[in-house]
Amino acid sequence: MMTAVPLLLGVLTLVFLLVQVAPGDPFRLEPAAGVSGSAQRTLRHAFDADRPLAARYLDWMKGFLVGDLGVSFTYRRPVSELIREAGTNTIVLAGLATLLQFLLGTAAGLAAAGSRRGWVDRFLTGLSSLAYSLPSFWLGMALVWLFSVRLGWLPVSQMHSVDAAEHSPVWRLVDFLRHLALPCLALTLPAAGGIALYVREEVRSQLGGAFVQAARARGIGEKAIVMRHSLRGALLPLVNLFGLALPGILGGSVVLEVLFAWPGMGRLAYQAVLAKDEPLVLGCAWVTSVLVVAGSLMADLMSSWVDPRAGEETA
Amino acid sequence: MRRNIGGGLLASACLGAIILAAVLAPWLAPLPPDLQEDVAGARYLPPLTRAQALRLSSDRVRVLTSLRATPAGWMGVRNGRREEFTASEVLGAPAPRFYLLGTDSLGRDLTSRLLFGTRHTLVITALSAILATFLGVAVGAVAGLGGRRWDDSLMRGVDVLRCMPRLLLVLVCASLFPPSTLLLVLILGATTWTGLARILRGQMRVLARSDLAAAARASGASPLRVALRHLLPQATPLLTVNAALRLADIILLESALSLLGIAAPPPAVSLGGVMASGSDALSGAWWIAAWPGLLIAGMVFALRSTGARFLRLPDPPSVA
Repeated sequence: MMTAVPLLLGVLTLVFLLVQVAPGDPFRLEPAAGVSGSAQRTLRHAFDADRPLAARYLDWMKGFLVGDLGVSFTYRRPVSELIREAGTNTIVLAGLATLLQFLLGTAAGLAAAGSRRGWVDRFLTGLSSLAYSLPSFWLGMALVWLFSVRLGWLPVSQMHSVDAAEHSPVWRLVDFLRHLALPCLALTLPAAGGIALYVREEVRSQLGGAFVQAARARGIGEKAIVMRHSLRGALLPLVNLFGLALPGILGGSVVLEVLFAWPGMGRLAYQAVLAKDEPLVLGCAWVTSVLVVAGSLMADLMSSWVDPRAGEETA
Repeated sequence: MRRNIGGGLLASACLGAIILAAVLAPWLAPLPPDLQEDVAGARYLPPLTRAQALRLSSDRVRVLTSLRATPAGWMGVRNGRREEFTASEVLGAPAPRFYLLGTDSLGRDLTSRLLFGTRHTLVITALSAILATFLGVAVGAVAGLGGRRWDDSLMRGVDVLRCMPRLLLVLVCASLFPPSTLLLVLILGATTWTGLARILRGQMRVLARSDLAAAARASGASPLRVALRHLLPQATPLLTVNAALRLADIILLESALSLLGIAAPPPAVSLGGVMASGSDALSGAWWIAAWPGLLIAGMVFALRSTGARFLRLPDPPSVA
């Protein structure tokens, strides 16, 4: 817990310096009719960008304490507001995908481990390996090709249809879910494949343990052995994985959000970097760093909850 | 716990075949990878298209399908329209073209582009993985063996880097310098080494207290010699597996960066670049994006299962 604060401070300072080093000036205006040379200076002053580096750094650090992340250069709106909107969109997409990843992955991994090299095991392991190897945006494109281009069932991109505002709430919900389906699937499958392979290995290695033999000797059914005895041992690393997945839930998958034009955090950060929108870049970086630190903290806490011995080791 | 993801011997054979094809690309490729013979005539030709290239006296080339000789000269289909050429317009005999995997939006042969793309991708990822391994070993070994002060400062630095939003790091690095293959290698290598540093530090800390280290020290070896000749070789299996997994990750990362516009500039062609270029033409020409994606998946799968064959990993690389 005590290391989290200096860690965050270090990350934020590094991000701040990195953004200063990057070339390009968002206030350099093309000379054009009606744009005077002083416009650049005025804009720079209006956005507080003409102050010395150290002053801006201190201001920025102070901003985090009071929750004021500044005003975006490109959107001309408060950064905290933009992040709240994009963050909500990302939580819906990535949160659902993460939930599905762990549910699908654990289920497939357990089924494969329980089948003990039977055809279910072979099939599920093969499928998971394939899904785990696919680039997620290739999967996204394949899904778009199949469901949007060929079959015409689902929309290609965006969160809503253009005319969504004119319809009833139920229609809007269905419309939203239809837009959600493809990016969510593309985000879910590769990671679910990885988790399935992982759970399978974990459970299988647990199945070789002495406590499993003891359970078998007591006449406990094979299903109960897998579900109640082996899964528990496999939970600990899974919890760790979940902690590591947390930043992804809000940080968003940049590539998939760009591909599906999903207005989430990943896309916001990507566009902010391209436009050199300094306050927005820094705000996005702040959110991501806090989440990474929070994720590893949470993994630690959850590990000691799942397995009390783990807490002693880290302490 | 074994991190076995199936496959095995078959995967290693696949990997060997892909590497061989990449090495032999200049001899295997039917056409130069950036040859745009006839943009309007040859673009978006589906896989398995047979066509003929006619050289005209104006030194232009026309790519035509179902070409046949007529009394006046030649007749064929170009871009969906029937076109005729008199014998005096045409120089020499038509050259046969067989587009096994189809053509892209500029009429370039995808088979050739994929062969050269695999070559380029493999070189980029191999160099990046070497750089990442070098950085990870250097930092991990110094932190693990160099005593408390080195350990603290280096591992805090690694923690900070691990918390940095990776995309931000990559995009800022990419915007600082003009795009080049070297820059891409540096970016990919410099952003993927922290996991190895952490694992290696852990292993080195254990090894430093082992009898192995004590014996080496007792025989009078200098600390540097103990580290380089006695302790680091112990980590070879770990490094091998990590390198294989890192290669797989870097291939995926490279393809993702291509979609975001961070790639070596043309005429360099990478698998990710070909795939990204296919995302615009998805409705009409599925094959442009399909083949490189499958090739990448094959390489990633082969690398991961080959790596898994070597040894048991203590944990998934990202957790450890």
